[in-house]
Amino acid sequence: MTASPAAEPSGDSALVLAARQGDRAAFGGLYTRYARMVHGILLAKVPAEDVDDLVQDVFLKAMPRLGDLRDVSRFGPWLAAITRNRANDYHRQNRAVAAVTESLSDDEDKIPAASNVSDAEAAMILVYVRGLSETYRETLILRLVEGMTGPEIAARTGLTPGSVRVNLHRGMQQLREKLSQAASGARGQSGFAGEKNSAAAQEQSSLRKRNEP
Amino acid sequence: MKDDYLWDGSGEPDPEIQKLEKTLSKFGHQGQAPEFPEIAVTRRPRNLQWGFGLRWPQALAAAAALILLIVALGILRWPQQPGTNSGPGWEVERVAGTPQVESSATGKAGANSRLGLGQTLVTDGHSQANITVAEIGTVNVEPNTRLRLVDGGAGRNRLALERGTIHAYIWAAPGQFTVDTPSAIAVDLGCRYTLQVDDSGAGLLRTTLGWVGFKLNNREAFIPAGAVCATRPRIGPGTPYFDDAPKSFCEALSRFDFAAGTPEERNAELDRILAEARKRDALTVWHLLTRVDDAQRGRVYDRLATLVPPPSGVTREGILRLDQKMLDAWWNQLDLGDVFLWRTWERSWSPNKS
Repeated sequence: MTASPAAEPSGDSALVLAARQGDRAAFGGLYTRYARMVHGILLAKVPAEDVDDLVQDVFLKAMPRLGDLRDVSRFGPWLAAITRNRANDYHRQNRAVAAVTESLSDDEDKIPAASNVSDAEAAMILVYVRGLSETYRETLILRLVEGMTGPEIAARTGLTPGSVRVNLHRGMQQLREKLSQAASGARGQSGFAGEKNSAAAQEQSSLRKRNEP
Repeated sequence: MKDDYLWDGSGEPDPEIQKLEKTLSKFGHQGQAPEFPEIAVTRRPRNLQWGFGLRWPQALAAAAALILLIVALGILRWPQQPGTNSGPGWEVERVAGTPQVESSATGKAGANSRLGLGQTLVTDGHSQANITVAEIGTVNVEPNTRLRLVDGGAGRNRLALERGTIHAYIWAAPGQFTVDTPSAIAVDLGCRYTLQVDDSGAGLLRTTLGWVGFKLNNREAFIPAGAVCATRPRIGPGTPYFDDAPKSFCEALSRFDFAAGTPEERNAELDRILAEARKRDALTVWHLLTRVDDAQRGRVYDRLATLVPPPSGVTREGILRLDQKMLDAWWNQLDLGDVFLWRTWERSWSPNKS
């Protein structure tokens, strides 16, 4: 495994220093660079319909605290920690939202009609990704959902490239197993299917809202 | 690993991953940068303007006087603060009473202090405190506790609990937060847990979210949410068990782990544990595989196989010779956490390598 931490993304320090001096364009630059990372970390823990709002919330929370950042080259890991904290707060605040991997309802009637098969499939796969352990699901969502490469994930989050590579490999391996089990219907008749479908229904619904003009 | 496409999109495209990318990209970030409000400008101390318009001889004299003042203050403070550090520190908030950081009190009601490297936070019978662990979590410190900050570097956050009780809630990636106790090291694998240490150095760890690794030398324990694990000096972590296990099961386990019984007595305790084990006590039975002697291991294998059948590739012979890969594969079959995380992270926290 690679031992050295990933290098700081080029130019981050300059943007952080400028933002500290009140340069909003510089802060916008940091947003552009890190919005996908923040979005992906949140999506690993929070229902999709709330993620966009929380992304802005995280940046607004980070903005006045830039002065607390002792090592400006660690902006990415610092922001990632704030994001994970915000996701945990979301659940702590008990906003009537069950954990994303838990059953929201046993009522399978709530499963939306498969008018959009593609959305239903995406929602179901996302639920399976979220069923992985936290480390794997976060890295895998950054790669598969947000389109970040492994080196980019390492550079942004501060994880070592070796760790990211291992997380991707192991996470993908586990996801394949889960999708394979689902496809073979090994657990299809159990309550498990109902729980997954229920969670997927919620995500599909959020996709529909997203796609509305 | 032939994962070049998964890693950075290079190499031969993997059709399955391409399909996942295409399907899941609907959930990806699409928003544009919002209009951010004015940023409150923060001035750092290092930006102080030197000179204040003085001519250079006056500035030099002022600087010399300042240095003399700093040296004098340092000399005056030296005897009062042995072990004062100049490195990073964690914020300590008083909750009750008067928690002390080494020899200095954390202050009056509501005041905050810092726990620096090498410093010890001490609470008496009426004091409680909260520690903010960098940006990765919080530690609530109960009365009658001594807690030392061993390391606070990036990605390496380490405390030593000498005595007392802490509640840790960590949201960092696994392996970034550990707590040394006199009889084991607790490695956070993404979790919330309570850790207690008594005056003899014996400890108890109870996980309420995620899971924790507990280790002394080659003796290790994985403690998932809802489980408990005791530890003893010179022995290390006992066998973890779910806290809803029958009392007789827990008592037999405690005697098996820590009592100085005869081989016959240990055999009897093992029989009791195996007989009373429920399906979810596969957690305990799996750990026993590495805690029993060679003659007992076959019985443990047979019992675990009835609770959770071994996955393909795991054989009786392999388990009896403690094949690590097979043990790990069987653990993963319990679905209590991926042991690979532990194998990855615990190495960097082993005492002789930190």
